Amino acid sequence: MNTTIAVKQVLDTTPLIRLKNCTMEFPGVKALDNVEFTLMPGECHGLVGENGAGKSTLSKCITGEHHMTQGELYVNGKKIRIPSYSIRESQALGISIVHQEFQLMSDMTGLENVFLGRYETKAGFIDWKALQKKISELIEFLEVEVNFNIPVKYLRTAEKLIVQLARALINDSKILILDELTAVLQEKDIQNIFRIINILKKRGIGIIYISHRLDEIFECCDSYTVLCDGKYVNSGKVKDINKPQLIKMIIGRELTQVYPPVNEKFGDMLLEVKDLTAPKAFRNVSFHVRAGEVVGIAGLLGAGKTELVHAIFSNHKLTKGKIFLKGKEVKIKNPKHAIQLGIGLVPDERRMLGLNMQFDIKDNTTLPTMRMFRKFKIFQDKNAEAKAAYEINKKLNLNYYSLWQKVSKLSGGNQQKIVIAKWMLKNCDIFLLDEPTRGIDIGAKFEIYSLINELTKQGKGIILVSPEMEELIGLCNRIYVMYEGVVMDVVEGERKTQEVIINSLLGVNEK
Amino acid sequence: MIELDFKEKTRRYSGGLKSFLSDWMILILFVALVTICMITMSKFRDPKNLFNIIRQASFIAIIAMGEFFVILTGNMDMSISAIIGMVSIFFAGFVVTMGAPVWLALIVVILMSVIVGIINGLLTIIGKMPSFIATLVVMNILRGFNFIYSGGLPISGLPQGFNFFGSGYVGVVPFPVILMFVIAIILYVFTTQTSLGRSFFAVGGNYEASKLSGINVRFVGILVFVICAVLTAIGALGLTSKTLAGNISLGDELLFDVMTIVVLGGTSLMGGRGRIFGVVIGALFLQVISNIMVLMGIATPWQWVVKGVILVTVVLIDSNTKRD
Repeated sequence: MNTTIAVKQVLDTTPLIRLKNCTMEFPGVKALDNVEFTLMPGECHGLVGENGAGKSTLSKCITGEHHMTQGELYVNGKKIRIPSYSIRESQALGISIVHQEFQLMSDMTGLENVFLGRYETKAGFIDWKALQKKISELIEFLEVEVNFNIPVKYLRTAEKLIVQLARALINDSKILILDELTAVLQEKDIQNIFRIINILKKRGIGIIYISHRLDEIFECCDSYTVLCDGKYVNSGKVKDINKPQLIKMIIGRELTQVYPPVNEKFGDMLLEVKDLTAPKAFRNVSFHVRAGEVVGIAGLLGAGKTELVHAIFSNHKLTKGKIFLKGKEVKIKNPKHAIQLGIGLVPDERRMLGLNMQFDIKDNTTLPTMRMFRKFKIFQDKNAEAKAAYEINKKLNLNYYSLWQKVSKLSGGNQQKIVIAKWMLKNCDIFLLDEPTRGIDIGAKFEIYSLINELTKQGKGIILVSPEMEELIGLCNRIYVMYEGVVMDVVEGERKTQEVIINSLLGVNEK
Repeated sequence: MIELDFKEKTRRYSGGLKSFLSDWMILILFVALVTICMITMSKFRDPKNLFNIIRQASFIAIIAMGEFFVILTGNMDMSISAIIGMVSIFFAGFVVTMGAPVWLALIVVILMSVIVGIINGLLTIIGKMPSFIATLVVMNILRGFNFIYSGGLPISGLPQGFNFFGSGYVGVVPFPVILMFVIAIILYVFTTQTSLGRSFFAVGGNYEASKLSGINVRFVGILVFVICAVLTAIGALGLTSKTLAGNISLGDELLFDVMTIVVLGGTSLMGGRGRIFGVVIGALFLQVISNIMVLMGIATPWQWVVKGVILVTVVLIDSNTKRD
């Protein structure tokens, strides 16, 4: 008994991770500059900063994926020899990382995934009984309800995450890095992750929590470290600061107004849809957008939001329903036709659907409009194209080095600006924005917000899909709340509150 | 002020020496190889030999330029060897057996290859079959038809004048060489200066994003197979004209060479990346290597081995260098 207490005390005072003067240089860039970081046992440490601030690089230095150029790393008080440090060694020391991107074999069961590569064997055969027992213990410990015996492809996003967490924990991890886990999760699943984090903390496990959502830092973290442009800004206890202070540290300036005032001057009816139905996605959806209006679409994962905007863009099959553009009924044949009619789609998966990562900035910006810049109607006029791309990107305040730069080298926020620039160049009337601020940093988020506002002032109609209620309330004139493919409620004016929306999101209809 | 900033933002983005080397590796290797052979091998530097190399490379280069388009969009056309056989045997059949005029036979075999290209494209793009399988199936079916039509025997006796196509000269330059360069220049302008040309790269780089940007991805996807089939037909006619006989097995060994050339030319097997003149250089490169081996008296089976090693090396390099 005494020994355990003694051990516990030692654990409590020795940091799990101590990073001193960490500097990480890539050819031409200093990704980390003299960063300090300390993780204590049983604490959840929020690592915050804008995209490109060095959060991921820092976590990779800790897991051994990168070798830092200068500085010292102590794990459990023991100094690590950096040149020979590796992911294998960090795993042996009990460091695990869980990414938002899934690294699971989708056709294998949760159980197989958890033990992949470290099956326990008995007489040369896999000892399924022992594995099953271990996983049951873990399920009990985490108090989760996830079926580990079906292929993970049948699991929900949140459940897949639990499988990944289980995989990290079965390894007897002492240090857990959670990298942007909640970016793909819905509110109640996030709460579940927080609950698990609390259980783990009680076990003395240290958690490094990386997130863009600052509310989460205040909700589940004990301490924080702020990075800005690779430099260490500050760290301390979460309870000693408030949100505006944290934002100021992250972006290096104060934000007076988060959302620009909503435009209230509407023009003519731009888009009206009636009884849109697509099997397994949504049914009988009707709404309208006027010029200068932002219409929000709220809903949980699987509510049919993304399918709905894709259907309007004719990239998802409709079985029923009518679409009216400026009062005239139209049958949109394919995305090309939709674009000709003045509709632009900014898809949620920017890298997969929004951009051609191998193309440069100019080619991406002018991809839908390249036919506008032609000599003799045959040859591309590259100079005119470059000029147009330059001007539109200047308007959007794009931060880049050269138009011939590959878009893959840009930050998420800048990439998103290019996707929007495509449609501004095309002079679209209707913008379908599917989670336009997903995975981009705060500074860029605000720029997107004011851009949306700017578009409404020009008389564009905007349909905004977002999982963040705050964003919808701050930007939209009217919000349609979907639940399992059906519009449950239309929220506008004074009813635009989180409570009203949440009730409809979860299918609790009070109308 | 704005003018100045515009200039700044449109300055060429050079990736330094390393990226220059990886972009032009094949050209550098080619120049080096030719220089070494010019110095050390007297038989090689004979102008007759040099012209021979270019002439032999020309038709296979034309076929490879067709395959280039398919690979550019991330697909693969395995049916080209059977298309070569089809064009060769049916053309000879129409002219020799049925007595059709050459121009009519030309049009008919080109139309036939267009249809084969459309079928390849439909199976791959609309039918959503892996192109490797779809075109392999088409290849076997075509081979069957070729054999049924001809009974497996070559059809000889094409008119002497047709010989010009494969062996003629314009001044001192062989006609096939001119044809190759004309086609290469047209395709170069097409791929780099037109919006449809850029669509090929876009579709190969990211099919979904291109669709959502309003590119007619199905049309582009099918078109590449048609371009490939037509260029293959032109190449096949050239090869046929050299012997003045139709032969169903004319293209049997060419598929491998064509793939090697396209990859040698710097075309990414993942799609979205490549250059027309890379393909031309690739064809010349491979032909120079064959030529050297012939001059050194290396037996054909060993030539296969060498070519195999070359393909593996290039694909290994391509698969293991990260490009961004």
